[in-house]
Amino acid sequence: MASPLVQIAFYYLAVASVASAILAVTRRNPVHSILWVLALFLHVAGVFLIVGAEFLAVVQVIVYAGAILVFYLFFLMLLDLPSEIKEFRFNEHWRWAVAIGVVFVALTWYAARLEHMPIVEPEVASQAVAGNLSVVGTALFTEFILPFEIVSLVLLAAIVGAVAVARKKTES
Amino acid sequence: MLVNGCLVLSAVLFGIGLVGFLSRRNIILMLVSIEIMLNAVNVSLAGFSQYLQNPKGQILALFIIAVAAAEVAVGLGLIMALSRARPGVSVEDLTQLKW
Repeated sequence: MASPLVQIAFYYLAVASVASAILAVTRRNPVHSILWVLALFLHVAGVFLIVGAEFLAVVQVIVYAGAILVFYLFFLMLLDLPSEIKEFRFNEHWRWAVAIGVVFVALTWYAARLEHMPIVEPEVASQAVAGNLSVVGTALFTEFILPFEIVSLVLLAAIVGAVAVARKKTES
Repeated sequence: MLVNGCLVLSAVLFGIGLVGFLSRRNIILMLVSIEIMLNAVNVSLAGFSQYLQNPKGQILALFIIAVAAAEVAVGLGLIMALSRARPGVSVEDLTQLKW
């Protein structure tokens, strides 16, 4: 059981991230939405710190908040969409969307109750000796080396594909 | 228990991302909603990783972050090509298969 301070911090981070996610989804101005997503990602990084995933928290701040959201902001400013603020921001099926979301959250919340969780013996042996970050790094470079290399190929393909798709077609 | 809170937080964030994806008209904000959903999955993976004392959950979350970065690059490139062919980013205007 976690200490009360950790629990208070977790509840603050959870409430703040849910609030910023709702604001991100409902704001009219796309730039405001993306800034609320930035707040969401920073709070989720705090949640990662609390559950002991320090490397994941750092990657979350650098890659998500640093790279991906800045990419989104650059892109929005490149497109320059003044008409977005005037028009209605939801489509005509938004009530169905809200109903689907509420049903999904209710079902998952029910499934996530503690008595439904399988009782699994934790693997203490590897964790006890080494620190968290070295455990993650060792697993990443030994057991998961092939997926790690494949991910680098995926990123390369994504870069080349993005350039190929977004390139201005020259007259041939 | 911390893992229970993580799972509930993950479910709520995923639901918010789902509602955003299904209800927004702006295609860029639909992609942002996908980011919210991917992040919600990362929260639950980190919670399970702490519950089972096993680093594999964190490694899977790292791979999800990498795939999210790739998805953003390709998705925004596609929207770039789309907005060059016709102005606006509303999904309701994208009804023809080819132009």
